[in-house]
Amino acid sequence: MKLQSLESNMSSGRKLFRLGNTINSIDAAKRTLVLSDPILRCCLTVANLSRALYFICDNVLWARNIGLVRDINKERWSLNATRYYFVSLVMNLTRDVYMMAQLMVQRSRDRCYQQKLHQHLNENPDVACVVVPQLDALVFLLIECLKSNPAVALDTVKNLCDLFSPLDRLGVYQTNAGVVGFCGLLSSLLGILSVLKPQLKIKP
Amino acid sequence: METWVRFNSQSQAKERLCRAAQYACTLLGYTLQKGGAGADLLMTVKQLESHMSLTRKLMRLGNSAEAVESAKRAVHLSDSVLRLCITVAHLNKAMYFACDNVLWAGKTGLLPKLDQDKWSQRSFRYYLFALILSLTRDAYEIGLLMERESRCCGSAKASLSSTPVALTPENGDLPTTPSSSASPSPPPLLIPTIPSLPMLSLRLRKQVRLLAVVLRSNPPLLLDLLKNLCDIVIPLDRLGLYPTGNGFVGACGLASSVLSILTILHPWLKLKP
Repeated sequence: MKLQSLESNMSSGRKLFRLGNTINSIDAAKRTLVLSDPILRCCLTVANLSRALYFICDNVLWARNIGLVRDINKERWSLNATRYYFVSLVMNLTRDVYMMAQLMVQRSRDRCYQQKLHQHLNENPDVACVVVPQLDALVFLLIECLKSNPAVALDTVKNLCDLFSPLDRLGVYQTNAGVVGFCGLLSSLLGILSVLKPQLKIKP
Repeated sequence: METWVRFNSQSQAKERLCRAAQYACTLLGYTLQKGGAGADLLMTVKQLESHMSLTRKLMRLGNSAEAVESAKRAVHLSDSVLRLCITVAHLNKAMYFACDNVLWAGKTGLLPKLDQDKWSQRSFRYYLFALILSLTRDAYEIGLLMERESRCCGSAKASLSSTPVALTPENGDLPTTPSSSASPSPPPLLIPTIPSLPMLSLRLRKQVRLLAVVLRSNPPLLLDLLKNLCDIVIPLDRLGLYPTGNGFVGACGLASSVLSILTILHPWLKLKP
């Protein structure tokens, strides 16, 4: 009971804290509209607009919690907020996958990397390498790219962790409060890390 | 520690906005009550105010450590009066934030058996001490600046009065009585008398003018003084030392929040150290 009351307190405190974030998201959407890459431009602008809509729903829910507005359907607004949040997460993940693919293509063309790959494939006596060398090469490339681009890796993990909460609430993939809580905590810690170390923040 | 302070300062601007909103609610509640508004509306405004207050307490959970860090930095100041005032003010603020954190735990239900009134009074007392020390620091800085200003003015006036004598040496007149042309010189031996009322009012007017000049040429000091004067109304009312009423407290709280938002928007307006 104590923890539930603390959680609801923190939640309503966060809602108040986020009252200005709609404008932040619209501003971010305006900035991503001028990106040169069309796929990044599409993904990020849609993600930011969706996030802005999520914040608007969140602000209305805060007003309802406080008692400033009384006659609104809390369930409907909450569901809409979750849907918009889900769309923005999916768009962000698409952008992560696209960036990772671009990095992998770039890396595979690099001569030093090709030497490394050759060395790895020849040295390793595992059965799997011999049977499916292409898969092993792909996994090796993926791991190399993730290691050399921590910002993209961090953002991908963060978005994946964030995804569990709307998936559970929308009923698409129901887990339980434990999984949602753990993933939420992990993604918050990763978010704090990207604020503390600006080089870990993904750009654009 | 530096990382934490930098991280924490990003939420301070929002905390100031929340404070402005909280005191605006206090003022609004008072105005609505005087205007005879319905109990429903008053209840909503009161709920909004307490929600803002609780959220601010949540936002300030790390401020105790920040105040202790500021006190550690202030210990190295060269001026002894400033060093004392600022260090002790920061330490009092750290104690105020610690009491505030305990109150937050009590209000959210983490410590249900907490005596909230006692801790509230304790926190306001620390806040009052911190404000008194800040006002002492302001008064000290104003005193220093006024002294410097009057010395500058005095030396400027003295140089002005001596130039007519220097300009006419060919007259052969020795500058024994330089002010003879200006006004009759006073007798060398003065019997100490109580200054008359017009003289006192003249001196007072001169001091007030000097104060106005000093404050006008130091906007950070003026802002800090006004902010502390507005802030001190709150603990004086809440501790029952000088009750003024919710309306005045709300207005002063709102004014001081707006002034502190100004110092965040324009960092040159922040009083240093």
